[in-house]
Amino acid sequence: MDYVIEMIDITKEFPGIKANDCVNFKLKKQEIHALLGENGAGKSTLMSVLFGLYQADEGHIRVNGNDVHIRNPNDANDLNIGMVHQHFKLVHNFTVTENIILGSEDTKYGLLTYKEAREKIKELSERYKLRVNPDAKIEDISVGQQQRVEILKMLYRQAEILIFDEPTASLTPQEIEELMKILKGLTKEGKSIVLITHKLNEIREVADRCTILRKGKSISTVEVKGTTNEELAEMMVGRKVVFELEKTKAKPKETVLQVSNLTIKEKEGNKEVVRNVNFKARRGEILCIAGIEGNGQTELIYGLVGMLPIKEGSILLNDKELSTLSIRKRSLSGVSHIPEDRQRHGLVLDFTLENNLILQNYFTSKYHHRGFLKFDTIRDNAEKMIDRFDIRSSRGPVSLARSMSGGNQQKLILGREIDRNNDLLIAVQPTRGLDVGAIEFIHQQLIDQRDQGKAVLLVSLELDEVMNLSDRILVMYEGELVGELDPSKIDEKELGLYMAGSKRGEVS
Amino acid sequence: MKNLWKNTLTLIAKRSNSIQVLSSLLAIVFGLLFGLIVMLIVNPADAFPGFFTILTGPFQAGMRSFGNMFYRATPIIFTGLSVAFAFRTGLFNIGATGQFTIGAFIAVYIGVHWGFLGPFHWAVAIFFALVGGGLWGALPGLLKAFRNVHEVVSSIMLNYVAMYLMILLVRRTVFFGDHARSLAIQDSAELPKWFLGSIFPGSSINIGIFIAILFVAVIHIVLNKTTFGYELQSVGFNKDAAKYAGMNEKRNIVLSMLIAGAIAGAGGATFFLVGGRYLHVNAVLMPQGFTGIAVALLGLSAPIGVLLAGIFYGFLELGGLFLQGFDFTSEIIDIIIAVIIYFSALSLFLQKFVASYIKKVTETDIEISEGADIK
Amino acid sequence: MIELMNQLNFAFPYIIRAMALLSVVALGALFSERSGVVNIALEGIMIMGAFAGAWTMIIVMNNFAIPRQWNAFIGLSVGAVTGLIFSLFHAFAAIHMKSNQIISATALNFFAPAFAIFTARAVTGDRALNVRLDYSIRNIPILSDIPILGPWFFTNAYLSTFIAVFIFIVAYIVLYKTPFGLRLRSCGENPHAADSLGVNIYKIRYAGVMISGALAGLGGVMFVLSFSTRFDGAVAGFGFLSLAVLISGQWKPIRLILIAFLFALFRVVSEIPDELIGIRNLNLPQEIWRMLPFIATLVILAITSKGSAAPRAVGEPFDAGKR
Repeated sequence: MDYVIEMIDITKEFPGIKANDCVNFKLKKQEIHALLGENGAGKSTLMSVLFGLYQADEGHIRVNGNDVHIRNPNDANDLNIGMVHQHFKLVHNFTVTENIILGSEDTKYGLLTYKEAREKIKELSERYKLRVNPDAKIEDISVGQQQRVEILKMLYRQAEILIFDEPTASLTPQEIEELMKILKGLTKEGKSIVLITHKLNEIREVADRCTILRKGKSISTVEVKGTTNEELAEMMVGRKVVFELEKTKAKPKETVLQVSNLTIKEKEGNKEVVRNVNFKARRGEILCIAGIEGNGQTELIYGLVGMLPIKEGSILLNDKELSTLSIRKRSLSGVSHIPEDRQRHGLVLDFTLENNLILQNYFTSKYHHRGFLKFDTIRDNAEKMIDRFDIRSSRGPVSLARSMSGGNQQKLILGREIDRNNDLLIAVQPTRGLDVGAIEFIHQQLIDQRDQGKAVLLVSLELDEVMNLSDRILVMYEGELVGELDPSKIDEKELGLYMAGSKRGEVS
Repeated sequence: MKNLWKNTLTLIAKRSNSIQVLSSLLAIVFGLLFGLIVMLIVNPADAFPGFFTILTGPFQAGMRSFGNMFYRATPIIFTGLSVAFAFRTGLFNIGATGQFTIGAFIAVYIGVHWGFLGPFHWAVAIFFALVGGGLWGALPGLLKAFRNVHEVVSSIMLNYVAMYLMILLVRRTVFFGDHARSLAIQDSAELPKWFLGSIFPGSSINIGIFIAILFVAVIHIVLNKTTFGYELQSVGFNKDAAKYAGMNEKRNIVLSMLIAGAIAGAGGATFFLVGGRYLHVNAVLMPQGFTGIAVALLGLSAPIGVLLAGIFYGFLELGGLFLQGFDFTSEIIDIIIAVIIYFSALSLFLQKFVASYIKKVTETDIEISEGADIK
Repeated sequence: MIELMNQLNFAFPYIIRAMALLSVVALGALFSERSGVVNIALEGIMIMGAFAGAWTMIIVMNNFAIPRQWNAFIGLSVGAVTGLIFSLFHAFAAIHMKSNQIISATALNFFAPAFAIFTARAVTGDRALNVRLDYSIRNIPILSDIPILGPWFFTNAYLSTFIAVFIFIVAYIVLYKTPFGLRLRSCGENPHAADSLGVNIYKIRYAGVMISGALAGLGGVMFVLSFSTRFDGAVAGFGFLSLAVLISGQWKPIRLILIAFLFALFRVVSEIPDELIGIRNLNLPQEIWRMLPFIATLVILAITSKGSAAPRAVGEPFDAGKR
C-alpha cells in the first residue's frame, strides 16, 4: 500500500538490446526516489515507459493501486505524471507563461485567458519558491530558470508524480543547490519525485530511497541513509567479467602533447565547459580522460583538434603551438583523431570505403596528380588497409560506408588515422556501441600504437575500458580535471567516486 | 516467367543506383499518365492520338525532328547541369533562371555590338555570358557563406532582379522598339552548325549541343575525377565530416555557386545566339531554370543523367509542338513536367516503395542513399 | 499643394489595392511558415485561385443576373477554396512524405500556369479568360465624402480591399489570441516542445498550409479583379513579391503590413510615374522601381540573417522518432 507508482516486471527490448529486463520500481508518496545507473543502464527507458513515450513489451504499471495503460504523454498527463526532460522542451521566443499554457490553454469566447493563466503561474511560482517571471522570454533567462519553467509546466498541469531526467547535467553548482531545495519543497507539498541521476552526492543530499539499475536489470532498492557511497558505486558499476588485455607495462618517454591553462566555452552560450585544464601526453603511454558524459570531454577534444575555438590556453605538439592553427594544419602537424560521433564526423556515409580512407589526405601528392585523383593508388591503398585492419564489407573498396556495420566503419576510421603515422592519436569513445570482437580488435590496435611509441589520448565513458586499457587516468568533472590516477593502484569504485565529483585529487 | 522477373530484380538490386533510376522512371510514368488523364478529361476523342503524338514526337518528321530535339534540349541540359552540380555540393540552385537571364543578355549584347570579333564572335559571347552567370550565381553563395542567408530565398529574389535588370538593359542598349524586343545579333555571333546542318537538314540544331556535351563531360570529370570534386562532394554529403577533415566550407559554397551560375549563364548564351531569337521585354521569368530543376532531379544529379534527361525533355517538347494538330496546347508538356517534379519530390518515398517491393520478391536487402544534404 | 493632394488622391487607391493583395497573400504564407512549412508555391496557388475564380465569375455572369459585387464575392470564395485544395498537394508532400519542400512547391508553381492555359484553351478556345467587367466600387455614400480618407480609401475601392482588412484583423487575433495561434507558432519554432505537450504537429501544419493556400487563392482572384480583367495564366510575380513581403516583414503581421505598403508604393510608382510629378522628376526607369522590393529583401536578409527572425524549425519535417 501507499505506493503511488508500481512498475512491475517491466521489459523493453530495442533491436539488439534489452534496455529493461524485468525491472521493478516502486515509488512511495512524498518521497524522492533516485534511479541510479551508468549510461545505458536503462534508467531513461524505464521512465519513458512510465511517461508513455515507449510501450513496455512486458510487465504492468499501477498508479495509486490501479492498473493503467499509458500509451502517450497525454495519458501520463491525465494520471498526473509529469516529466522534465534532460533537454528542455521550451519555445525560445515564447514567454514563460506561453510555454507553460501551451497544449492546455484555457479560453473565454475562444480567446486565450492569458491574464488568468499568468496569475495562476505567479501563484504557483511563489508557493513553490521558484521565483520565475511569467513575462520573461525563455531566451533571456538562465538554464536554471528554464528548468524551473519546466517544473512549473508540470505543476500547472497538476502533476503529482514528477520525473526529473538528469536534472543537474547542465546546471552550475549554485543552481544545483537551489534545485535540491526546490525538490525538497515539492515533497513537502505532497508531490512524489523520481530523480534519474548517476551523481552520488545528489542522491545523498536529497533522496530517501534509491533503486539501482545495471545493464537493464534492477539490482536493488535501498534506503539512502543506511548505505554508503562506496556501496552505491559498487552496485552501480557491478563486477563483471572483463577482458584480460595482453599489455606490458608502459614505458613513457618524452612529452608529445602539452596542454596548459586551456579554457573553452560551449558552442552557443557563455558557459565555460572546459576550465583551466593542464596535462601532458607522452610517447609510449595511453592517457585516458575518464568522466561521466557531458563533463567537457567532447569540447576538450574539439578544442585540441580545432573544431571549437578556445578561449584561453596553449596546446603544444612537439613544441609547436597548435591553438591558432586551422583544423587542416593541426592535422598535418601530427594529430590523428578518431572522432566521438563516427557517422557525423568520421565518415561521409554516401562515399565508398576507398574514398573514406583518403578523407584526411586526398590532397597530398600521393593521391593526386595535378588535381586528378589517382584511382589506382586509392584502390591499392584501400586493398592494403582492408587487409591490414580486417575491414569487412559487401563489395570491398567500392562498398558505400553507409552499408557497413558499425564495427567495420570504426575499423575504417581507426585504420585511416593510424596509417597517417602521427605522433598523437586521439581516440574518443572508440568502442561505443560495438560488439565484443570489434572492441577487442580496437583495443589491441591502440596498445600496438602505444608500443610503437605514439602518444595515445583516449576519452572513454566505459569504466572497464578506462581501467583495462589506460596507463594513466585523468578524471574530468564539470570541465575540470579533478584527479590523476594510476589504474594499477585504484579500483573502479574509487574511480567512480572521482567521476561522480565526490572526491578530488591533484593533477600534475 | 516468374523466375525471370525475380532474376531481373535481383540484378537490379545489385546495381548501386538502380533504385534511384527506377524511381526516376516511375516519376516519368506517373507524369505521362497524369497528362493522359488530363487529356482524356478535356477532350476524350483526341486524347489517345494526341498522347501517341507526344510519345513519338521526333519520329514524325525524320532527321529534321531529331535535330530540333537536340536543339531544344541544349539550354535545358545547361540549366539542368547547373542545378545538378549545385545539388551534388549540397546547394539548391533555384536561381538558374536568373543566371540564365544574365548570360542571355550578355551574349545578346555582345552578339549585337561586338562584330569586330569576327570568327571569335560567338565564342567570346559565350565566354562572357559564362563569366556573368558565374558572378550572378556567386552572389547567393557569398550571402550564404558569410551572412547565413539561405540560397533558395536569395536566389528567388535575384531571379526577379535579374529579369528586371535584363529588361532595363535591353531597353537601354539593344532595343528594337517596333517589336518590343532586342535587336538581331550579327551573323558572326550565331552559333555555327558545322556538319550538323547536313546530318539534320532543315533543323535548327547548332553546335550548342556539342558545347553542352562538353560541359557535361567537364563537370563529370571535375566531380568524379578531381580532388576539387572530391572536396565539393564531401561538403555536399556531410558538412560536419568535411569540417573534421579540415576543408574550407565557405570557400566551397561560393565556388559551387559560381560554377553553377557559370553553367547556367553559358546556357543562356547558347539559347539566344541563334538567328531569329530575341530577348523580349516581358516581365516573365525564363522557364528554363525551373525546367532545369526537373531535369536535374530526373538525371539523379549526375551529369550523364542530366544529358539523358535533357534530351528526354527535348523529345517531350517536340512532341508537344506536334500536338497543335489536335485540339490541345503544348502546355500539356509543362503539366507533365510539373507532375514529374512533384513525384521527384516524393522520390525517397518512391525509392522505399520500390526497394520494399524488390525485397519482397527477391529477399535481397537494398540500401538507399539519401543523397546530398539539401535543405 | 492642391496638385500634390490631387496626385495622392489619384495614386492612393492604386497603392491600397496592391497593398491589400500583397498583405493577404503574405499573411497566408505567414501561417504556413510559422507552422514550420516553407511555402514558395504562392505564385502557383494564386494562379490556380485566379483561374478558378475568374472562370466561375464568367459562368455566373453569363447565366445569372446577380449584382456585380455578389459575383465578385462568389469569385473570391471559389478562388479561396481552390487555393486551399491545391495547397494540399504541397502539404501532403511536405508534412506526410517529409519531402523537400522547395521541390514540391516548384512543382506547384510549374503546374499552375500550364494547367490554367491548357484548360482555358480547351474550354473556351482562348488561352486567356476575360472577366471584362469593372468590379470597382466608384463611390460609397457618405464615406466617400470624408475629406482625405474618402478619396483614399472609399473611392474606386474594391470589395476585396475590405475583405483584406477583415482578414488581417481576424488573422492577427487568431495568431496571437487563440490556442490555435499559440500552438501554430510553437510548431514553427520547436515542434518537439509542442509534441511533448500533446499538440498534434501534423494537424497544425496542415492547417497552416491550408490557410496559406486559401489566402493565396483569394489573392489570385483579387489580382484578376483589381489588376487585370484578362487572366492569361499569370499573376505578374505577385506571389513571389508576397514572399518578399513576408521575409522583409520578418514573419510578423504588423511589419508585414508596413512592408506591403512600401512595396505596393514601389509597384504603383513603377506603373504610373508620369502621373506623379515628384517621381517623374526622379527619372528612374520603371524596372528600378520593380526591382526595389527584391533588392530591399536581399539587404534585409543580409543584415538580419545571422540573428534571423525566421521560425527556427521552418522547412524541417517533423520526426516524432527524434524526440
